[in-house]
Amino acid sequence: MSESCRRERDVRRAAASGTWTDELRAHVASCADCDAAASVSPWLARFAAIPDREHILPDPSVVWLKAQLMRNTTAAERVLRPMNQLQMGAYLVVAACWAAVLTWKWEVIDKWVHRLTPGQFIGGASVDAATSASVSLTFILAIIVLSSLTIMLALHTILAEE
Amino acid sequence: MTADAMMLLQATVPIERTAPPKRAPRPIDEARFESFYRAHAASLWSYIYRLTGNPATADDLLQKSFFRFLRANPPTTTDEHLRRYLFRTATNLAFDHFRETKRERGQEIVVIEESAHESADLRHDMMRVFAELKPRERSLLWLAHVEELDHEEISEALGLKPKSVRVVLFRARKRLAELLKKKGLGS
Repeated sequence: MSESCRRERDVRRAAASGTWTDELRAHVASCADCDAAASVSPWLARFAAIPDREHILPDPSVVWLKAQLMRNTTAAERVLRPMNQLQMGAYLVVAACWAAVLTWKWEVIDKWVHRLTPGQFIGGASVDAATSASVSLTFILAIIVLSSLTIMLALHTILAEE
Repeated sequence: MTADAMMLLQATVPIERTAPPKRAPRPIDEARFESFYRAHAASLWSYIYRLTGNPATADDLLQKSFFRFLRANPPTTTDEHLRRYLFRTATNLAFDHFRETKRERGQEIVVIEESAHESADLRHDMMRVFAELKPRERSLLWLAHVEELDHEEISEALGLKPKSVRVVLFRARKRLAELLKKKGLGS
């Protein structure tokens, strides 16, 4: 079975319409493909001829318009993809910087947090002078820069969404 | 220059034939789309409906087929070529739909519309017979017998090898004939 029978279309049509010629009948008797086609063609023709429900297809102009809108959305998404990737990169960099800074001065931060407890407030006089001294100018600058970057990124995200 | 010399020159010097410049395929415009849609949307809907058994799914897949068709922006050759492309797109979408339905419900289900009229009852019965076939068999039989595509066109539409179409179509016909015989509908 490699090529379709040349008479298949004629057989299908003849079987569907019931208009056989002797030659076609003889052919069907000797061709398995055409015999199979002839056995189902009348039923399939009846099946295809049943009217579908009163079906209203969408207007072509509506389909065209929707397709254009979808195409524009896809184009916009494609254009914005590098921006989104850049934004994701920025989130990751800022998060990594925060993690690095916090790890770097974790001891100092931990002590600060403990100083904020009520017990420490009452005995405020015994503030560890070493804690204040260990907060370097670099650390404060790093915190300021990172805070600014975080705020800028947050504002950018909010404004972009709007 | 003598006439003989002229003839010799013409015979030896290759004549430069300038091939007609190849025109880049034009994207389909709205007017062309509209006429193409009006010509083929109904038959495509019938095909998807017979394939899925569900009018709502047929509506959905019809629109998706045209959206995908327009997004792909096929070169405007002949209507016949575009039609084949459209049926291939619809077939792929229908098979994707079957895969999703199977995944969601654990089995292949063909939803059949509830009938209220005599013709709807007949359709309902015929749809039930047709639904017993595999999706690929339904697709093959419809494309071959109703859309009258030849094996090569069917192979293009279903992504099968032309050689396989003949074998699979033969089996599909045999299976449908058996079903019809079993239900007392066969010839």
